[in-house]
Amino acid sequence: MTTTTLRAFFPRMPRGPRQQRRYTERPRQKGLVQRAIVESFRKLDPRLAVANPVMFVVWCGTALCLLLTLEPRLLDAQAGGRERGFNALISLTLLATLLFANFAEALAEGRGKAQADALRRTQARTEARRQLADGSIERVDSSALRKGDLVLVQAGDVIPADGEVIAGVASVDESAITGESAPVLKEAGSDVAGSVTGGTRILSDQLTLRISADPGKGFIDRMIALVEGAERSKTPNEIALTVLLAVLTQVFLIAVATLPPVAGFIGQAPSVVTLVALLVALIPTTIGGLLSAIGIAGMDRVAQFNVIATSGRAVEACGDVNTLVLDKTGTITLGNRLAEEFLTVDGHSSAELAEAALGASCFDQTPEGRSIVRLAEKLGAVLPFDQTQASGLEFSARTRMSGSDTPEGLEYRKGAVDAIKGFVRSRGGTVPERLDACFEQVSRLGGTPLAVCRGGEVFGVIYLKDIIKPGIRERFDQLRRMGIRTVMLTGDNPITASVIAREAGVDDFIAEATPEDKIAVIQQEQKLGKLVAMTGDGSNDAPALAQANVGVAMNSGTQAAKEAANMVDLDSDPTKLIDIVTIGKQLLITRGALTTFSIANDIAKYFAILPALFAGAGLEALNVMKLASPQSAILSAMVFNALIIPALVPLALKGVKFRPLSAEQLLRRNLLLYGAGGVVAPFIGIKLIDLAIGALRLV
Amino acid sequence: MARALHIRFWLPLLLVAGTLLLAPLFRSSQPPLQSHMLALLLCATVALSGYLFAVICQPEKF
Repeated sequence: MTTTTLRAFFPRMPRGPRQQRRYTERPRQKGLVQRAIVESFRKLDPRLAVANPVMFVVWCGTALCLLLTLEPRLLDAQAGGRERGFNALISLTLLATLLFANFAEALAEGRGKAQADALRRTQARTEARRQLADGSIERVDSSALRKGDLVLVQAGDVIPADGEVIAGVASVDESAITGESAPVLKEAGSDVAGSVTGGTRILSDQLTLRISADPGKGFIDRMIALVEGAERSKTPNEIALTVLLAVLTQVFLIAVATLPPVAGFIGQAPSVVTLVALLVALIPTTIGGLLSAIGIAGMDRVAQFNVIATSGRAVEACGDVNTLVLDKTGTITLGNRLAEEFLTVDGHSSAELAEAALGASCFDQTPEGRSIVRLAEKLGAVLPFDQTQASGLEFSARTRMSGSDTPEGLEYRKGAVDAIKGFVRSRGGTVPERLDACFEQVSRLGGTPLAVCRGGEVFGVIYLKDIIKPGIRERFDQLRRMGIRTVMLTGDNPITASVIAREAGVDDFIAEATPEDKIAVIQQEQKLGKLVAMTGDGSNDAPALAQANVGVAMNSGTQAAKEAANMVDLDSDPTKLIDIVTIGKQLLITRGALTTFSIANDIAKYFAILPALFAGAGLEALNVMKLASPQSAILSAMVFNALIIPALVPLALKGVKFRPLSAEQLLRRNLLLYGAGGVVAPFIGIKLIDLAIGALRLV
Repeated sequence: MARALHIRFWLPLLLVAGTLLLAPLFRSSQPPLQSHMLALLLCATVALSGYLFAVICQPEKF
C-alpha cells in the first residue's frame, strides 16, 4: 500500500498552515545561563579540555602564564614585579577566552538537556496490565515490561511502552510527544496507525499492544539520549574542520616556538608570555571555541522544529542534499482532495450520477468521501437505499475502490477507472467509450478521476480536485536556486501527475509509483554521486528511508519506518523535509562563515602583536593602528580575542540567516561579509580596547 | 603492562628525561632553575606538538 493511498484513507494529523499548528512546548530556558556558567568552569578540567585541540593549546598557554604570574622569574632570572602585573592580565584574558568557549558549548548543550528534561517528564512510570499466556491479566510496573509482552490499555491509561497495536481501535492523545492536541486514531492491522509510543495517553476504547522495545530502549529514551548529546559523535564535516584547525595550530606552534632564536639574533628576545599571546592570537580560537556549539545548536534547531535527528551527521547531510524525493499528497498537495464536479457518461443525467455517487460514498468517512456526499446533496441527490440496512465496503489498495452493498443486491462502487472497468465487466456490463474521455479530461486538469457504477452500469466520473499547497511553487523555486532537484512520487496516473508536477514546479515526477520505485529513484540519484532526502511513514517505506542519505519518518508512521530513518518528524508533516534541508544548509553555512571570520581575524592581530614584539627592530611602521604601547597592543589583541567568542555565541546558536542562493553566490556573499568583516572588525575593536586600556591605565 | 603503555605513565617520564637532557643547552645563559624550566618548556612544547599530530592523524578520537 503506498503512502499516498494510505494517507488518503487514514486522515490523521491536521495539515493547516504551520503558524496555525501547535508545536511541542519549548523547554524552559530558566536557569540555563547559570547552569552554563557553572558548566564552563567544570569544563576547565584538562581531561575534558583535551577534546578540543585549539582550546587545549590555549589551556596550556593559560596554565603557563598563571605559573609565570605566580613566579615571573621561573623562566627568566631578570624578570621582576613589573612583569607580574602584565602576566596576570594576560592570564586572566586567556582564562576568560577558555571560559567563554566553554560557556558557548555549555549553553548549546544546556538547551538540549532542557529539551531532554521536557521529554523525560513524559516518561512517568505507570502500572501496566500484562496479558499472560493463559489470557489472564497481571498488573506490573511499566519498567518490568519486555519486548514481546502483550499489554491491555484502556481509556484514561498512559501507554506504558512503545508497541504495536494487535487488537482494538482507540483514540490516543499524543500531545506529550507532538504538541498536537487533536487525538489520533490507532487501530490494529493498519500500517500507519498501528504503532503507539510510550508516554502517550489513550482517550477512548481499549487496545491490546505488543511491546516493541525493552525498558530504556523506547522511542522517547532514544530521543532523550540524542538531544542530550549522549550519542553525539563528530560529523564528517566537523572532523575535516578539526583537522584543518589542528594543522593551523601546529603550524603556528612551530612558528612561535622557533621565534625566540630568530628574535634573539636581532637582540629582541620576547618574553614567554608575549609568545603565548602571539600563539593564541594566531591560532583560530574563535572557531575552535565555537565549533562544537555550532554543531550542537544545529541539532537543537532541528529538535525545536519538532524533528528528532538520530545524529549530527544526519543534520549535516541535509545541508549537502542534492535531490528531494517527495510524496505528492500531503507534501505538494493538500492531503484532502475535494469533489469538484460530476461528469456523466452514456446519457446518464447529473442527478443519476450524483445519486449513485452518494450511494457509493455514504459509508466513506474520508475527507474525499465526505466531499462527494456534500457535492451530491448540493445537487439534490437523495440516498437511494436505507443506509441502516446496507453495508459499506472500505477502500483497499488491492481493489482500489470502495462502496456500498444494499439488501436488494445492488452494488454501488466508486474507485480508480481501471478498477471500476474490471468490476463492471465482471458483472456483465459494458464500459462506455466516453469513460476514457472523462478520465483524460479530469487528468488533464490535474485532478483524480473516480469512476462510479452500480453493478454493471457506469454512471460517470467524479472529478476530485487536488489542491496544490499555497507557496509550494516558490519553495521549489528556492530549492532550484540552491541547486536541489525535486522529484515527485505519486500513485496518480501519468497525465494527472504531469499536470500537478507542472503546476507545483517540481523538476521530475514518477506516476503510478510503487515503494520499489522510491528505492530505484534514490539508488539512481546516488549512483550519480548525489545525496538524497525523502520522507516516509509506512513499513513499505522503510527500505527507501534506510537507503536515502536523509530519511525522515513521520511520527505517525510505523516502528519499522522510524527505525530505518535517521530523523523522525514529531508533527508528521512531510513538507518539513524542505525546512530540514534548510536547517542543514544553515548549519554548514554558519560553520563556514565563522571559520572565515576566525581566520580573517588573524590579520589585525598580526598588526597588533608583531610591531609590539619587534618594536626595537624597525617594525614600528607596522603599527598601523597606532596602539599606545607594546604591552597595551598585546593585551588589546588578547582581550579582543576573548570578547569575540561571546559576541559570536548568539550567531553560532541561532545560525547565520539562510538565503536560498547557489553555492557560488553564498561563497561570494560570505567571503565579503565574514571575510572582509573579519579583517576590518578586529582593527576597530583592538583600537577601541587599546584606548580603553590607556584610559584605565591598566598597563 | 597496560599501565606501562599508558600516556599518563610515559609523558611525565619523557618530560623529565627531556628536561635533564636539554637543560645543559640553556645553562650558558640562565641559572640552573631557569635552564631546567626552559628545557621543560621546550619538551612540553614538543609534547603539545605531538598531541596536535595525534589529532591530525585520528581526529575522530578527539
